[in-house]
Amino acid sequence: MSHTDDGEPLLAVDNLRTVFHSEREEIRAVDGVSFDIERGETLGIVGESGSGKSVTARSIMGLVDSPGEIREESSIRLDGRELTTLSEKQYRSVRGGDIAMVFQDPLSSLNPVYTVGNQIIEALELHRGMEGTEAKSEAIELLRAVGIPDAARRVDEFPHEFSGGMRQRAVIAMALACDPDLLICDEPTTALDVTIQAQILDLLQEIQTERDIGIMFITHDMGVIAEVADRVAVMYAGEVVEKAPVEELFANPHHPYTQGLLQSIPGRNPSTDRLPTIEGDVPTPHESASYCRFVSRCPKGFDECERVHPAHVEVGESADHTAACLLYPEDMPTDDTVTHHEENADQTGAEASEALSADDWPAERRKAGEDTGPTGSEDSDARADGGHSHSAGDTGGQLEGGDTDE
Amino acid sequence: MSRFTYLFKRVALSIPVIIFGTTVTFAIIRLGPLSPAAAILGPQGDARAIRQIEKRLGLNDPLWEQYFDFMSNLFLFDLGQSWVINSGTPAIDLIISYAPRTIWLGFWAVLIALGIGIPLGFYAGLNPNTFSDYFASFGGIVWRAMPNFWLAVILVTVLSQSEQLFGFSWTSFIVETNVVTSPNLAVLKNPTRLLTDPGQAWTNLAKATKQILPPALVLGSASMGTEMRIGRTAVLETINSKYVETAKAKGVSPRVLVWKHIFRNALIPLVPVITAEAFILIGGSVLVETVFSINGIGLLFFRAAEQGDLPLVGTLMYLFILLIVGLNIVQDFAYTIIDPRVGYDG
Repeated sequence: MSHTDDGEPLLAVDNLRTVFHSEREEIRAVDGVSFDIERGETLGIVGESGSGKSVTARSIMGLVDSPGEIREESSIRLDGRELTTLSEKQYRSVRGGDIAMVFQDPLSSLNPVYTVGNQIIEALELHRGMEGTEAKSEAIELLRAVGIPDAARRVDEFPHEFSGGMRQRAVIAMALACDPDLLICDEPTTALDVTIQAQILDLLQEIQTERDIGIMFITHDMGVIAEVADRVAVMYAGEVVEKAPVEELFANPHHPYTQGLLQSIPGRNPSTDRLPTIEGDVPTPHESASYCRFVSRCPKGFDECERVHPAHVEVGESADHTAACLLYPEDMPTDDTVTHHEENADQTGAEASEALSADDWPAERRKAGEDTGPTGSEDSDARADGGHSHSAGDTGGQLEGGDTDE
Repeated sequence: MSRFTYLFKRVALSIPVIIFGTTVTFAIIRLGPLSPAAAILGPQGDARAIRQIEKRLGLNDPLWEQYFDFMSNLFLFDLGQSWVINSGTPAIDLIISYAPRTIWLGFWAVLIALGIGIPLGFYAGLNPNTFSDYFASFGGIVWRAMPNFWLAVILVTVLSQSEQLFGFSWTSFIVETNVVTSPNLAVLKNPTRLLTDPGQAWTNLAKATKQILPPALVLGSASMGTEMRIGRTAVLETINSKYVETAKAKGVSPRVLVWKHIFRNALIPLVPVITAEAFILIGGSVLVETVFSINGIGLLFFRAAEQGDLPLVGTLMYLFILLIVGLNIVQDFAYTIIDPRVGYDG
């Protein structure tokens, strides 16, 4: 994992708030989200439908259109450069050039009336100034790089002549056309069957090692997360509720929501008759959070959860494992933890997030945490377990079932 | 399947359609209550004269014989002579002399529909839920809702009294014309006169255009409304599709996004609407030409059908059917060009 010279992470998202205005109210789709991504690292973002994963991705891409709006206090820095203040025209060169995105549904993310080659060449022309035969041979090279056989012939074919997996490879080739630093994958494997899924995940990992890019991987499939992610951020109702290195998260989940998610993976509880689920739906947040948004579904909720907004606190063994829950820090009695969170929540939302994000995942600490490595046999079990549920074709690990739409 | 075999197959498949259409025409004219002989003689004709004419026209021959004569002549393009309208004149000559005014009318009707309906629809789709979108959409519904026979009458009434109603005289606007009359298209038959005798020729062209605009607007109004609405929906659907978002995420500029990624995809659902205009034009021209008393094909067809002029009606129907079948084949070819997913198979 290489760092940029000034110690800035590749992507630093700080207190991101994206709201959508409707006639009656505003919907806080993303409400104070902060995280970093380093080069060569994969951050997994998990959560149910409606938890704000995709809106986070679109915010980073600058693709939030009216009636959506990124609030002023938000900050998105790529290699130290603030993106939220860029003009639309400046943002266009970032889009596709510095940050590329792979969407959920490969069947519909290619324009049906143009050849695959045409669409890759379009990106090459836009960001690398290539033209004519040079662009075409580069497009063929890219298709070959993502494992499309007979690329020279297929470059002139239309998307409908490609199979689902091939199409997603072509979309990835298109995303890689401009040598992005950051690749955002919004559920890139959800629409694919499991064997193809595994191939695409392998491909992404290969690309990451080869090009040293940061990947932000959005999914609701815990099995996929176990496979690809280095660190995980769990989102709920527009907020990040728990962040942890992947082994740590699987072995030692702290937030009741994360625990619920992990319990609802088939195969993790082979002894039970019925698969545990989290009752209810993700609420749509309209107002700034003065309480825990998970409380209505939380099996461990208590009275204070209704009036105190939890702040992130360090939990677990690794230093960069934090959870936003009034149950923690674990070593304090509950009354004290409530006061602890209250003190943090007393500040305005923006300041609170500011204060938190300042020592969110400081690079040195994160490194230190990594050096300790996966601890105990529990960790490796969890890893294997997650991997197993994926490779065994167990799509039941998905939290949303057939609903692939956000 | 190659393009050529596809075309061959389509042509072969259209033959039953043509036979069916012409057969129905024959049946309606010959089995219905129309008597061409009575129409020729007028109300004073006596029974003997009628029988004589019926005999001369071969109307007393066995019906199947008449049918086979009719059909074989049509297919050999031996289109016969008019019985009633202009007795003894070859049907095709009559049609050729009436056609230019209808073509002129149809040309402007299509131009108004395509040139206003589609751009307006695309504009509305690109700016959804704005005031201009509501304005255009509402206009589209209004145009669509006004039946052309009604609109034609209203337009004639309003335009011929525009002086009294609005203090603006349509008849003397730019060039002096009547509201209800056939346009004089002599200048189009001799386009060189636009250069040799510019003063007179351009005035005539302006007159011909001004005269045809109100009926063309009536004729094109419904298609204009339909194209506007379908265009708007098509653009909205395309804008919200995943590949447009992918293109945006690639950093494509808004101009390229609209013209390359949205426009061509939005055109696909418009193709059948545009070709369907042909049917509306043929049907509508009968009404519009009658109201605006334009001596065109529509008026000719109406009078011929009314009076049982079988050769003329048969010829016109035959040409209409050929036109529509041909347009359908063109439409399917247009699909294969615009949308690569449409193949020649199946």
